[in-house]
Amino acid sequence: MSTSAVMRTEDLWKIYRTGTAETPALRGVDLEIEEREFTATAGPSGSGKSTLLHLLGGLDRPTGGEIYLDGQPMSDLSKDKLAQLRLTRIGFVFQAYNLLPVLTVLENTAFVLELQGVPYRERLRRARAILAELGVEKYADQFPNRLSGGEQQRVAVARAVVSDPAIVLADEPTANLDTKTSLDLIDLMRRMNEEHNTTFLFATHDMRLLDRVDRVIYLEDGRIARDERVR
Amino acid sequence: MKVALRYLVRNRRRTLLTLLAVLIPVYFLVFMFGFANANLRDMFETATRFDTGHAQIRAVPTKATGAAIPLMRDPSDALAALAEVKGIEWRTVRLDLPALASVGDRSRAVHVQGVVPEEIGPVSALADRIIAGSSLTAGEGGVLVGEELAHLLGVEVGDEVVLLGAHPETALGAIREPVIGVYRAPEATLGRTVVYADLATARQLARSEVAATAIVIRVAGVASPRDQTTLNRVVRELRAALPAGYEVKDWTELVPMVATYMGILTPALAIVAGIFFALGGLVVLNTIYLSVLERTRELGLILSLGASRGRVVKMILAEAGVLAVVGALGGALTGVALILVVEAFGGIPLWGAAAEFMREMGMSSVLHLSADPGQVALAAGAMAAVAVLAAWWPARRASRLEPMEAMRYVD
Ligand SMILES: Nc1ncnc2c1ncn2[C@@H]1O[C@H](COP(=O)(O)OP(=O)(O)OP(=O)(O)O)[C@@H](O)[C@H]1O
Ligand SMILES: [Mg+2]
Repeated sequence: MSTSAVMRTEDLWKIYRTGTAETPALRGVDLEIEEREFTATAGPSGSGKSTLLHLLGGLDRPTGGEIYLDGQPMSDLSKDKLAQLRLTRIGFVFQAYNLLPVLTVLENTAFVLELQGVPYRERLRRARAILAELGVEKYADQFPNRLSGGEQQRVAVARAVVSDPAIVLADEPTANLDTKTSLDLIDLMRRMNEEHNTTFLFATHDMRLLDRVDRVIYLEDGRIARDERVR
Repeated sequence: MKVALRYLVRNRRRTLLTLLAVLIPVYFLVFMFGFANANLRDMFETATRFDTGHAQIRAVPTKATGAAIPLMRDPSDALAALAEVKGIEWRTVRLDLPALASVGDRSRAVHVQGVVPEEIGPVSALADRIIAGSSLTAGEGGVLVGEELAHLLGVEVGDEVVLLGAHPETALGAIREPVIGVYRAPEATLGRTVVYADLATARQLARSEVAATAIVIRVAGVASPRDQTTLNRVVRELRAALPAGYEVKDWTELVPMVATYMGILTPALAIVAGIFFALGGLVVLNTIYLSVLERTRELGLILSLGASRGRVVKMILAEAGVLAVVGALGGALTGVALILVVEAFGGIPLWGAAAEFMREMGMSSVLHLSADPGQVALAAGAMAAVAVLAAWWPARRASRLEPMEAMRYVD
């Protein structure tokens, strides 16, 4: 067992039950994500990418197996503890609806810090700094609906990294973006990864994004089909 | 808090609706309580001022008394005992006798009320109610009749009335007295039956120099039914001080109808208030629930990011709290303002049958309003509390959403 693994899974299973139907979404996934890794998970639709990210992010509970974050098993945690863990240790970028429409870009970015109880001035300072790094500081006082999709996703990345999480999980962050904007967003995440040593794991359909990552985990039918180090 | 305010601004129409749901009940309650307060005070004043007083010392009735008020043959011992009790603002001795009033071939059963004119002056409106002739003067004869009785007997000021005493505990007395004045009674039955005379005149009818039926008292610091505890304390002391053969009756026993009405009014107001609160609460619950539903996805995001359930509850309660406080304050202010405006114009005068009814009941035909700060605060505070409580259930539901399911929610 590597000591530098941020996240590790052991025989991870997820079976969705809807009525009488059972859908096995993950079927025994063993995985280690190293610190500072920039990893993509790819695979056909329905292969279990989103399910894996949700389980890793503590947004849902596995049917079987275990997830370790910083060596600590997550299945022991209560719902409230899990929420606390998401707040302090994990950054999220979703495919869409990442931002609260009633808060400005700056307030959205500072929101997790506010939830963490970071003092007002301090959290605004940190939020402003990260927005500047991502080149969206000029939108700081705008409301999200005034921004383009790509700009909104940049703000979402800013919000995900601002609290220095152990890992940022991004589920198809570029799904709604055109190719150029998608590549820009991945480059931006890559920069955050390099400059802040933030660990990233994102799911994607888009094969063109894969030459920018350290490692690609291919999922098929809820299993890891291939796990390739690109660089 | 910032998030809460932003959401309130985002959906202004719903915010306004919720605000009104809190404001309107408070507004109406303040107005209704204001009316009830003034009404109660008016009734209490009418009941206790005109004849009854806050309480009366009377003789304990015997078998011979029948329907009349028992006779105190010599109340000097009771008066001596009364002088020792603190807190008595005023007292007067009265002799109330059932009698027959005759003029020519017309006669009516009446009550002759012997009073000390210079004593009743400050607390009885009798002198102000004279509509013809003059009021009583101590030591001088003559009687005052109500306008109804004057009409029934066909007498005017200056005519003579024959009165036949009919108290079962006294020897029969008969007097002939001139009508020196006609008064307008607050209540028609009184005007038909009560004949006022100087105490000395009435005593002739009872054929006694010292007899009385009541020592009427008013207690210092008693101005409305809410001062009943003060009254009760003084009455208790008085009972202990009086010699045997006397009893003390307070206004609730002397005019039980008024006391009963007041007793009904309070729970009735409470029920109306409860209905208002419930309706306001339901509207708040509904609007907050809708607003929670509408932003399910946003709540999902907030929960995904790791907000605690308590935090989400607080966020929604903060919204409701702002609405509750602003709405309740608004309701209280507009309600009190309305009362002040109405009073500045001298109250709401009734007309026609309603005015007549109020007069029959012995009350003023002008409706007055009076705001009681305690009640206004209670109405506003209770409604605000109900509103926040009503928001609690949707808030709790919001906090228990499954983050991922909530984020998938489409509206
Ligand atoms: N909430 C759910 N309830 C029931 N079944 C689900 C649920 N979420 C996912 N599934 C099923 O689990 C399987 C894996 O889904 P998942 O969303 O993880 O795949 P994915 O790789 O993210 O697919 P896509 O590329 O389309 O996003 C699919 O068969 C899907 O239908
Ligand atoms: Mg997916």
